[in-house]
Amino acid sequence: MSYYFTIIGTRDNPLFELDFGTSKIGGDGIARFRDEAKHMNQFIVHAALDMVEEAQWATKELYLRRVDTFQNNHIHCFLTGGNVKFMLLMNPDPAATTYSAYQTTSPPSRPATARQSTTMLAANPTSQQTEDAVRQFMFEVYESWVKCIMNPFYQVNQVVTSPIFRGRVATAAKKYL
Amino acid sequence: MTPNTDDPLQSPQESDSESISVPKIRQPRKSPLSSVTSLPYRRSNASLSTLFASTTSLPTQHNAAFPSESGTVTPTAGVVNGSVFSPGGSTAIRSPSPLPSGQPGTSGETRDIIVRAFAPHVSILASQDTEELIRHKGIHGGLLELLRPFGEHVPGKVTIRDSSGVSRSWEDFGIRFVGVKDGLENPRITDRRSTDSTANLQRNGQRASMLEYKPARLRSGGDVPQIEELVDRHLTFAEEQSGPVEADYITQKDAQTLDPNATSPFYTLYLRRLLSGLPLVPSETISHPVASVIAISSRSPSPIEELRNLFTSSNQGEHRLPQWVHNEFLRYYVLVHDEDYDDITKSMNLFDQMKRHFGLHCHLLRLRSTQCVPSDDGSVKLPHCEWISAAEELAEIVRRETNEDDEDLTPCIFESDANAVRAFVREMVTQSIVPSMERASATWNDQVASRRRGLSGRFMSLSKRFTAFGGRNSSVPSLGASISNYDSLQGFYRPDAPEAVMRKLADYAMMLRDFKLAQSTYEILCQDFKNDKAWRYYAAANEMAAVSSLLAISGLSAKVRVEAVDQYLETAYYSYITRVGAPYNALRTLVLGIELLKLRGGSALDDAARWSNKIIDDRIIGPVGHVLMMERVASCYTERQAVSGVGTGDRRRRSGFWNMLATDAWLRLEKTGQAEKCLSEATRLYGFDDGDVRFDEMASFISALQEAVKANRHGPQHFDGADLLGDGDDDQHTLVEPLQEESEQLGPRSPAMGHRKSMSTAGPMGQPLPSVQTVFDDPLGAVPSAYGDAGGAYENMTATPMSPHAVDMPASMPVVDRRDPRDDGFE
Repeated sequence: MSYYFTIIGTRDNPLFELDFGTSKIGGDGIARFRDEAKHMNQFIVHAALDMVEEAQWATKELYLRRVDTFQNNHIHCFLTGGNVKFMLLMNPDPAATTYSAYQTTSPPSRPATARQSTTMLAANPTSQQTEDAVRQFMFEVYESWVKCIMNPFYQVNQVVTSPIFRGRVATAAKKYL
Repeated sequence: MTPNTDDPLQSPQESDSESISVPKIRQPRKSPLSSVTSLPYRRSNASLSTLFASTTSLPTQHNAAFPSESGTVTPTAGVVNGSVFSPGGSTAIRSPSPLPSGQPGTSGETRDIIVRAFAPHVSILASQDTEELIRHKGIHGGLLELLRPFGEHVPGKVTIRDSSGVSRSWEDFGIRFVGVKDGLENPRITDRRSTDSTANLQRNGQRASMLEYKPARLRSGGDVPQIEELVDRHLTFAEEQSGPVEADYITQKDAQTLDPNATSPFYTLYLRRLLSGLPLVPSETISHPVASVIAISSRSPSPIEELRNLFTSSNQGEHRLPQWVHNEFLRYYVLVHDEDYDDITKSMNLFDQMKRHFGLHCHLLRLRSTQCVPSDDGSVKLPHCEWISAAEELAEIVRRETNEDDEDLTPCIFESDANAVRAFVREMVTQSIVPSMERASATWNDQVASRRRGLSGRFMSLSKRFTAFGGRNSSVPSLGASISNYDSLQGFYRPDAPEAVMRKLADYAMMLRDFKLAQSTYEILCQDFKNDKAWRYYAAANEMAAVSSLLAISGLSAKVRVEAVDQYLETAYYSYITRVGAPYNALRTLVLGIELLKLRGGSALDDAARWSNKIIDDRIIGPVGHVLMMERVASCYTERQAVSGVGTGDRRRRSGFWNMLATDAWLRLEKTGQAEKCLSEATRLYGFDDGDVRFDEMASFISALQEAVKANRHGPQHFDGADLLGDGDDDQHTLVEPLQEESEQLGPRSPAMGHRKSMSTAGPMGQPLPSVQTVFDDPLGAVPSAYGDAGGAYENMTATPMSPHAVDMPASMPVVDRRDPRDDGFE
């Protein structure tokens, strides 16, 4: 169960990125993405922006819930008032993601992970439990984000490098995801 | 065994497998020895390149009906009716009739293909002396081979009255001539003992073995791996052609960028082969014959007797179709008159006699029996068939590859013969087949289907289910089964059961292009089949219900579409996969659905993309189709227009994403030309030049892909160039070792070779070897770091020494993991 969280500015530019794993059910909080995912996650999140732009007009909430999926990656989005997007990509089993490769090895069902995944959030990305957890996470990050960009030296669409902000996101992740 | 012209080093067993069991075609080439001996593979002799011309010609040249254009691919012209199998070829065959052909490469083309795919099948039953007469003309396949190409497009307009009495004319109406038992057998060998000897004869003595020229088995389609194999052949050929010829390559690229929405010719080919040679099954009657041509020749001593014998054999003898086929179809009697040797007055008398005996469905076909050579006056090449199954085309490719001399193997016929056949086909279709189909469907509609429509019809189906002695208890299903007409043991309806008749009616309506009637009938059928638990029938009815409603209703609202069509597709897909286990049908269902949804534009494009995604994720498709589907998703998103005013709603980013995925996947399959097309589209959509800080990894991955494409532009053959010659100069390598190249080029398809290569190239690069062998570890992941700062190198036109490695890695990797399952899992 791995997560990739990124904050995207108004011009599709990344402001902040963080990989982390789950800390629930004995997780160690370390992302287990494959090497490929380094760029693929960016591609997937970037592609999901199309869906965000569509979904943002359909709801009055800032939290847009799950906006997109690609293979077993699910993307949830939170939109701030300044049109900055918090995108959270979750992947229950990064090893099973094929990306562009063609694999006939196994049908999509994987008994090994199916057993443990019942308790995992990403196994059921539309479930209430998952949405609640992600929502709480998003709002906590939002709070830190607002405090962070209150910095008088911060300009719109500037990359956020603050270690304190990073720490807060990591804490929120540990707490909820 | 007849002398093996192809490959003397092969064991007979291997060689016989080569002609039919198609994925094994490359098997012999694995061994270095045979790869040398099978050199003819790469020889682009004229006849071979015509086979591939359909996909190698530029998409903008759809109007290229004649060979001068296809000569861009191979300058060996002199081939009339040049491009063969797909778009280009279709115009070649159509050219006799003034067709307002749809805009090239646009969406109308796929609809056209789909509509034409559901054509009436006409079986051909010819007497022995007729077959001999035709073979004497140099057409080894007999009457079937002679008639077949002419049936695919009936010259002139064909007017059809639909169920509401409205006439409509179609320019592109066609029928399929088939052998009597075509589509019944699996296109692969299942029983080796019985077929070994014939298969051997088949392949080695193609021209000698007259009796069984092409086995019926080859004419049945429905085998996805064979389609994959075929499209892969076309792709490989296109790569080889475009690789070394720089000028051709550049023009091709320009043509591509002009029209990004053009359907890839390879996808069109895939679609067409998917819909060609529909297998003969109980659950769908489209491939069941609507008529049968019974042919005798003027050589026959007792012609009327002969006709009677053929007629009875089609009713109960050896030519009787299985009992689930409705046998009351039209019989059409043809007298083939030998212009050169026989007396026309005698034939006329005989023909009059035939008319008296058999009524109006008769025709006198006057053919010359001497063999026609290309140098003769008025000789034309026998046109190629568009709608042949993948197995058949593969067999043809193999035949031409192994053909030693450079001549074109397409038989010639006299212009007069061609005209006679055309006139015959037109007369038969317009005066016999279409009217009889109209009559049959009107009768069935009155007698069976209309009773089921309306209120009373609903009651009838209800009362059928809840019969008097069952009540409405929970045992209804078992009770229903006992009453229903479905024979669940043997798994079919008797052809005279109302359900079977209605299915027949709906299929006739599809063939006659009365989509509304078809749709309403399929709708009723879905319910019936579900009650009877006839799952295969149920899935097929759902499939056709989706297709017909997408074809019938022009302004389908989004809501109706989601509720009806999606439901149909979902049900059909689920039933095919889970209940009956028919991946070919499932794939066909979804591909048809995707194409027809895609034509509707708007939000239907999202649905189309979603279904394509399902195909990709569920892996019901082979490696080539996998990439083609990715391209398809990309083009769905490209077509999606922004909502006017709002400025959002387009799918530019997703389209770029899928193009990027397709690029990557093409590179894995070593199809650089295709990768380049996708990549240029992806970079156009991403537009990395403008804007602020972008995602770094994305940019570097794209530039890594650009590197890989650029390095591989001259064809995939030079990987080992670095190993063997110690330099990366492609041209020199090409000059020095053209033969080496060929064997190398074919090498990586076998896992062993793939491994060897990737290791041999990876080793010197200092690439950690384990990454090659781990299945899930993607070697490309290492590329961006290696090329972290290589973005600017795109302008650099020489291939860097490292780049082959970058390409080799992704190329060889998936070969490893896609190869082994192919032998067991997929097929």
